[in-house]
Amino acid sequence: MNDRIKIGIPKALLFYKYGNLWINFFENLGFDIIISPDTNLETLEKGKLKLDDEACLSLKIFMGHVEYLIDKCDYILIPRIACLNKHEKLCTNFSALYDLTKNLFQDLPILHYNVDVDHHDSELFAFLDMGKELGFSYFDSMSAYRDALHYQKQQQTLKLKKQMEKLRSDNLKILMVAHPYNLHDELIGKQIQTLLEKEGVSVIYSDCYDESNLEEEAKVISPKSYWTYNQELLGAIVHYKKRVDGIILLTTFPCGPDSLTNEMCLHKIKDKPIINLIIDELNSENGLTTRIESFIDIIKEKKKRRNPVGK
Amino acid sequence: MENKKVISFPHLGNYYIPIKYLLNHLTHAEVVECPPITKKTVELGSKYSPDFVCLPFKYNLGNFIEALEQGANILMQAGGGCRFGYYADVQEQILKDLGYHFKFFCLNDKDHLTVTYLYHIFKSINPKLHFFKFAHYTLLTLLMINYMDRIDRIIRANIGFEIEENSFVHLQQEMWKNFTKKKHFITLTKSYFHYKRKMKKIPVRKEENCLKVGIIGELYTSMEPFSSYFLEKQLAKMNIEVKRFTDISYLLVTKRFKVKGLLKQIKKYCTYQIGADGMDNVARVKLLKKQNYDGIIHIKPFGCTPEIGAMPIIQRISSDLDMPIIFFSFDTQTSEEGIKTRLEAFYDMLKMRKEKKS
Amino acid sequence: MKKGYLGIDIGSISTKGIIIGKEDQILAKAYLWTKGNPIEAVTNLLRELQKQIAGKDIVVVAVGTTGSARKLIGTILEASVIKNEITAHAVGTMSKYPDVKTILEIGGQDSKIILLEDGIVTDYAMNTLCAAGTGSFLSSQAKRLDVPVEQFGKIALTSKNPTKIAARCTVFAESDLVHKAQMGYKKEDIIAGLCNSVAQNYLNNVGKGKKIKSPIIFQGGVSKNVGVVKAFETILKEDIIVDEIGHLMGALGVAILARNTGQERMFDFKVTDHSFETRGVECNRCPNHCEIICIRDDKKLIDAYGNRCERGAIKQ
Repeated sequence: MNDRIKIGIPKALLFYKYGNLWINFFENLGFDIIISPDTNLETLEKGKLKLDDEACLSLKIFMGHVEYLIDKCDYILIPRIACLNKHEKLCTNFSALYDLTKNLFQDLPILHYNVDVDHHDSELFAFLDMGKELGFSYFDSMSAYRDALHYQKQQQTLKLKKQMEKLRSDNLKILMVAHPYNLHDELIGKQIQTLLEKEGVSVIYSDCYDESNLEEEAKVISPKSYWTYNQELLGAIVHYKKRVDGIILLTTFPCGPDSLTNEMCLHKIKDKPIINLIIDELNSENGLTTRIESFIDIIKEKKKRRNPVGK
Repeated sequence: MENKKVISFPHLGNYYIPIKYLLNHLTHAEVVECPPITKKTVELGSKYSPDFVCLPFKYNLGNFIEALEQGANILMQAGGGCRFGYYADVQEQILKDLGYHFKFFCLNDKDHLTVTYLYHIFKSINPKLHFFKFAHYTLLTLLMINYMDRIDRIIRANIGFEIEENSFVHLQQEMWKNFTKKKHFITLTKSYFHYKRKMKKIPVRKEENCLKVGIIGELYTSMEPFSSYFLEKQLAKMNIEVKRFTDISYLLVTKRFKVKGLLKQIKKYCTYQIGADGMDNVARVKLLKKQNYDGIIHIKPFGCTPEIGAMPIIQRISSDLDMPIIFFSFDTQTSEEGIKTRLEAFYDMLKMRKEKKS
Repeated sequence: MKKGYLGIDIGSISTKGIIIGKEDQILAKAYLWTKGNPIEAVTNLLRELQKQIAGKDIVVVAVGTTGSARKLIGTILEASVIKNEITAHAVGTMSKYPDVKTILEIGGQDSKIILLEDGIVTDYAMNTLCAAGTGSFLSSQAKRLDVPVEQFGKIALTSKNPTKIAARCTVFAESDLVHKAQMGYKKEDIIAGLCNSVAQNYLNNVGKGKKIKSPIIFQGGVSKNVGVVKAFETILKEDIIVDEIGHLMGALGVAILARNTGQERMFDFKVTDHSFETRGVECNRCPNHCEIICIRDDKKLIDAYGNRCERGAIKQ
């Protein structure tokens, strides 16, 4: 019955950043889209089998998602993004992702998507090439991409609105700083978010803010950082710092860029309570709960001391 | 008195010799090399480093602390490739928070090494520096590094077979001394050829089909012997010819000309660059197979992101080509005994394979 | 007079010794705990072996050592071969099973996998991180559950519904175990779960990316645990061979290697009467502070090693 071409997208890593864009683009061109379900323990187990112990947890999760999609679709989108702005870089895992997946799963129908600004491959070209591979003219792809871009912007504005509402509330507000793929992952960020919300805390996301002053803001903490995604995190910290009560830095083990930028944050931010949570596959929920609860207690205590009357 | 400038920089194998040479000629400051890396350096470095940062960071930080203790007040750091490019920023911050007073220079601008930026840095240390002098000595130093790397390659292939112990090492030390006295391209080149001839004349007992092993992997562990528990020395003791690709000449110059060609050779496995030397290492497996090497040792510090990304691909290409390969991941906690055991077993395995073949 | 060849495997937990003849026939064998003192263990082991060959007119003419204390004991006994465990195990196993393709080995402190093809080792791996999932891990868990570790396997087989236990790291496994016991899981289910996780972790960790082909032989102390054997069989869907002298394979291998060197020299069991002493001396000639191990035989220094550079060399 349904003979439309199906494109699978692993719900991990950059999906959380460009998911809307990709989905909308493919839908505009008339494809069916299969997105792997939320991360669960099985996803992680499957991913662990594929990769070396030392590999990044988020990468292991990604491989688990890819494994799920095998045989369920005609193409699987494996993005390779090496460089987004001139003189900036991303974690090397993103540039290795395509070749790594190709070698780990043999004969996988991979859809090319390559952004490497340093080598003159911009995002637009990546979409045009992808459209071409699927049999569409540049013109069709272009308009699909434009629409998708527009849609993504709309979504971002909506998210921003929600975040602003949260910021205006009287609750305790904690900024969760993490790469989007960790922040919104069921197994990593969501788990902590639930814990926080149980304590009556409003969680502010680091991936949602007005990025127009990003460069200046990131420079406040580190003038020389060159990882685009970490710049965004640093920018978020500076942007929201004054309006939140505490900051949680959330990292998966052993994230390369985070290991250094988080250290920088811990050295530079002295005026707000801040903790660095490192999630690895061994973490037990008990340990996390204890750490978060005590962190919140400290913040509450500090607040009380500052305003002894109550509010 | 206070204004006396004392420059120092972290260790990387034997490269302290040309770097010291360069700094001596370009600045009027005193140049002190960091004390040699010891266990104490590593302990110091690990103590003040972030939890899961990679090993070279800890080594470098230990170097800096020891240099500062010895009175250095200008520190230099390089960078590039992966996390390495961002070391400088974080290290400066950590050291400042420890209460040291110093000036810190990072030789690369964000992730890129450019000549103008380099000149700018040296000019700020030594305002009288003329561009021609800067250019002359920078090129001379590059040439010296290249000559040192070339000699190193000869040594690596032969040192396991020397008849008189330490004959290579002694000659090498003599050569370094001689190199640093030279001030012109011609005299330096003459000296290089002189020592190259001498190196080739050192008597060795080398059999036609001795075991040959290639070392690939991350750059710091490849070039700093202390961090790999003197892997090359241990291999030499087992009478193995060693080939290593990564050296400064490769990273600074050769690499940029080779990338496209290498990618073409391993089209089946890699479409893009993986980051740092990941793709190069995949290609090297193929090259070593072609040159009839018996085995490959892949080394990296624990948690090295680019190499971890490349490892599954390396595993696949070496199993496709039937090339024995062993992986080492070095940490400050790695047990030396464990490395020795695995290395011995690797040697036995290669030996058995070789005997079976012939 | 018959010639015998002695092989000793000094592991972190147990010490194994074997004397073989010209055709690999076993003339004597012994097995005892190392108890943290390899020299004493070997002395006792030699006495035991001597007792077994007494009156049989056997002369030991070559000695080989393997295991983590191979260097120390090899020096003391003036062994003709000092070999790493991996090669020793491969050689020993191949002498009994010439067509073996895979050797799984889980010992007290470490675990390894050896792959062979046409009688030569083609690939191997050892655990790198810690002792999780090895023998010492199982015994400490047994203590916690108050079950003798020897009975672990039998109890595990009675379980119908093994519990899932995270055993990648010893510390986390312990907390997980306590947690599961607290939640009221049956003891046999927990034990079976432990056995499963040992096998699973071994395959994920040491065996990652290795093509495991049958015939598969499982060795080392943990191979005595039928629960783990069954777990391997279920996961790999292959038969697992456990040899009754599987724990002696390392010693056997190094005895064969010692014989193959062709060097023969009478070995004197009187060495057990000597009092050997080892002492760690810290070299203070540079900040490396290498620990140099000195071995003395009745106050006479016979060997010293452990120095990284010439400065730390101790002359006799």
